[in-house]
Amino acid sequence: MFTTSDTTTGIKGIEVSSTTARGIEYLSRSRRRLVVVVALAGYPVAVAVLAGLKHTSLNRWLVLALFILALLPTVAALLVSYRYARGRIDGRRARLDERDRALRQQAYALSHHLLATILTVAAAVTVIYLTSGNVLRLDANNVVPATMWVIVYIPALPSVMLAWIETDQPVDA
Amino acid sequence: MPEGQRRVYNRLAVLRAERGLSRKQLADKLSINYQTIGYIERGDYNPSLELALGIAEFFRLPVEAIFSLKPMTPLSAEIFREPGETR
Repeated sequence: MFTTSDTTTGIKGIEVSSTTARGIEYLSRSRRRLVVVVALAGYPVAVAVLAGLKHTSLNRWLVLALFILALLPTVAALLVSYRYARGRIDGRRARLDERDRALRQQAYALSHHLLATILTVAAAVTVIYLTSGNVLRLDANNVVPATMWVIVYIPALPSVMLAWIETDQPVDA
Repeated sequence: MPEGQRRVYNRLAVLRAERGLSRKQLADKLSINYQTIGYIERGDYNPSLELALGIAEFFRLPVEAIFSLKPMTPLSAEIFREPGETR
């Protein structure tokens, strides 16, 4: 049952959420770019931390906790990017005008360029590694992080790129 | 604005202020988002021909009176220009 205080908390909660959303919408380009860097670099860093900690004598639960802790900035940065794009990438926003559509096209094009670059570099590194007489063993230690990267980043890239390319919003007038 | 794109100057902010319209009000009339008006005014976004013509129609002005590829002179200078003086 709702009481007066519940209702007040609920309304305050909506206000806080609305303020946060508006804050994200008006993030400056430099801050958004910082968010994008954290979103893109955070996961590889977290995986590297995990790989490094696996070879230590630390308790596995502690290692897991540290990995999750290292992953938090990435998750937060991805959520901020998603919120910033706010339905402009997937077209869920009721009214996308011509600038929104042009921006979406640019974001998708930039995502494609970035993805193509990453995949080309990864393929080139793998070929060099293998032709140098090394053996690449595919196991959970390398397949799982790569799969997670694909699952998380490919859908998120257009939103992240939109946050990267859009200039500062004009001041309301 | 995307690289390599030429800047289009405009008088949108002046015309909007002259008619006492907010960005939101003008955007609603033109069926676009209010931020787009701000981006156009700031020269960060070049409107499509369709939108430019829509804006011209709304203000009942020729499109070249609102948009130009050269920096625009103040309206007062245009109105009080000496006879025979070129822009």
